[in-house]
Amino acid sequence: MTLNPFFLQGTQSEQRLVQDLINEHLRFHGVEVTYIPRKFVNKKTIIEEVQSSAYDDNFSIEAYVNTFDGYGGAGDILTKFGVSVRDELILTLSKERFEDFIAPFMAGQDDGTDTSPLPTPTRPREGDLVYFPLGQRLFEVKFVEHEDPFYQLGKNYVYQLKCELFEYEDEIIDTTIPEIDTQVQDEGYITTLNLIGVGRTATAAAIIQGSVTSGYISEIFINNDGYGYTSTPTIGISSSPTGLIGDRATAVGVLTTRGGVTSLDKILITNAGAGYTVAPTITITGGGGVGAAATASIVTSGQGVIRFSVTDGGVGYGTAPVVTVTAPPSSSISKQAVGVASMRSGSVAFIHVLDPGRGYSSAPTVTIADPETLVGVGTYFFNEIIYGSRSRTEARVKEWDEDTGILKVANVSIGSTQLGFFPGEMIIGKDSGAQYPNQGYEDFDEYDKYSENDEFEAEADKILDFSESNPFGTF
Amino acid sequence: MLGTYYYHQIVRKTIIAFGTLFNDINIRHQDKNGNDISNLKVPLAYGPVQKFLARLEQQPELNKAIQITLPRMSFEMTSIAYDPTRKSGLTQTFKACDDGGKAKKVFMPVPYNIGFQLNILSKLNDDSLQILEQILPYFQPHFNLTIDLVDSIGEKRDIPIILDAVSFQDDYEGSFDTRRALIHTLNFTAKTYLFGPIADSSDGLIRKVQVDMYADTNTRTAKREMRYTVEPVAKVDKNNDGVIDAADTPLLVPGDNFGFDEEWEFLGDSKSYSPTRQTDV
Repeated sequence: MTLNPFFLQGTQSEQRLVQDLINEHLRFHGVEVTYIPRKFVNKKTIIEEVQSSAYDDNFSIEAYVNTFDGYGGAGDILTKFGVSVRDELILTLSKERFEDFIAPFMAGQDDGTDTSPLPTPTRPREGDLVYFPLGQRLFEVKFVEHEDPFYQLGKNYVYQLKCELFEYEDEIIDTTIPEIDTQVQDEGYITTLNLIGVGRTATAAAIIQGSVTSGYISEIFINNDGYGYTSTPTIGISSSPTGLIGDRATAVGVLTTRGGVTSLDKILITNAGAGYTVAPTITITGGGGVGAAATASIVTSGQGVIRFSVTDGGVGYGTAPVVTVTAPPSSSISKQAVGVASMRSGSVAFIHVLDPGRGYSSAPTVTIADPETLVGVGTYFFNEIIYGSRSRTEARVKEWDEDTGILKVANVSIGSTQLGFFPGEMIIGKDSGAQYPNQGYEDFDEYDKYSENDEFEAEADKILDFSESNPFGTF
Repeated sequence: MLGTYYYHQIVRKTIIAFGTLFNDINIRHQDKNGNDISNLKVPLAYGPVQKFLARLEQQPELNKAIQITLPRMSFEMTSIAYDPTRKSGLTQTFKACDDGGKAKKVFMPVPYNIGFQLNILSKLNDDSLQILEQILPYFQPHFNLTIDLVDSIGEKRDIPIILDAVSFQDDYEGSFDTRRALIHTLNFTAKTYLFGPIADSSDGLIRKVQVDMYADTNTRTAKREMRYTVEPVAKVDKNNDGVIDAADTPLLVPGDNFGFDEEWEFLGDSKSYSPTRQTDV
């Protein structure tokens, strides 16, 4: 024994008293902060990084602000990466209070997918967050000092948390405390889903004659589908003998790619024409490919649907709806017309004539199927997970505006394809059960105040000549 | 001497062209099972900005809950240097047409190298590596961009963007009081051209092109074999006399609809054409 046995170096009761005094003082002079532990979603080995994290718990605790006269650090500075707020904060927590009321609930916490052992759950951990309510800021614990003050009466009573403002990426912050969670509502990479509150069925009319009542194309046969196309070729059809522009048949080509070869898949009639007495000549030009050839057959007696006129494109279509044309009066030549719809941005843009039919004496009725959902329902919750009914793409809600139908989302998973959300599919909230059809998905963050990606693209389009394509991708 | 106002915005266009290379880089994060749980396009901006504007735009509310969002990329122009290796004749000119079809006389541009520095700030090394691997393979060591440098004459030039160096800063050592900073820096050189003022061409339409051809490269001893002559021929009634004939040809101006009259002449003599006397001597 080298120490004087007649003097105590701190008894348990003295240590107890000091701890109580510290606890009491912290409750007098401290600030109630929220301690938010980090959960590992994915810890990468080799380069040793936690790639994805979630903060979905919260613990209130009193803390003394050591830097009582202001934040430490470099303050607000302009860097080459934009504005950066370099505020730092040192907080003192009661060791006993932390170990009694927070540490037991932190043990073994992960989000269920990452089985990496979490380090030392009995103390505050570096990487965890502290919400500082006075400044409404999220601080990340950089370092935990446990020996300052240094062994008073033979024991340490406090933790000093050296914190710096959080660098946010795509971490999930879902503590269930709105004041905290909404701090990053406008931060991070936010994309936009344009949803449709109320869908509308498209309508169209059929036209059965031009300047004369017959002489229309009944079918276009592709004799050779060609190869090497880089864009849709122009389909030319020789003029009608009537000489009228409206009587001239028109059609569009549709390409397909199989085995790396792009060729003509089909030719859809947009106007079957009128007044033809012999089958017109079909010419296929442009598009960068060669070899495609087609011929047409005509009907010279009886009337068919020569074209469709879309009177209302409707709203909320995800896939091209079925078009039904009423049958002509029954006769030996009668044949029902068939139309096929093509889509643009959730609406019916055109109806092409797949088969004009024959034997009509008056314009038939055209019926277009309803959109998948005519009325969206519910209210998406902030921070809930939504998913696409067909793409299975998931995302987390940042903001929902029912009036405009704009759903801001973050943490978008890729889903079943590389394309993100599909137009027309239902966007379903996992918690709220809200469902609205998707009109379109904008995978660009238009709300980021730093990003100029879009501006560069718009300006570059005016001056750059990417004759083939931009290998880095375009918007 | 100097002072003719013109501004082709060539440096600005080079900045835009450089920036657009990197404005569609995405990174992804996965959960432990390898499922993609986040996909984000890396924000890009030109670094130098007006300070008050940066503060107003990026921090409109004084309170900001976080330090910064990551990852981010920024780039800036770091140098402008004359490139003597691409120098062309001082008095050499070429002709071009403006939007209205009017002939312009353009002096050869001056070659300049513009240095760029692209910086990548990320929170995770893995993010930086995802970004880097999407950039580096395209530069061997250069990548050509075709830029419409002077839109008034439609002058498109291939501008090689050369990747000079890649370096990175990873302050992972030291006190826990400082946070790890991960910055990857890529240095590039854009070999662009600066154009001077562009004047209306006094020469107008080229009225005649004449080429004498020899069967040997030594034109002093070889005989001329053939002469090829091309002259524009009017295809519109320029003098409004009701017919399109030779009288219309001298009235042609750039932008008119005209054809060409080609003529081959067999010579086989020992003369040569004198441009000053405009005859064979």
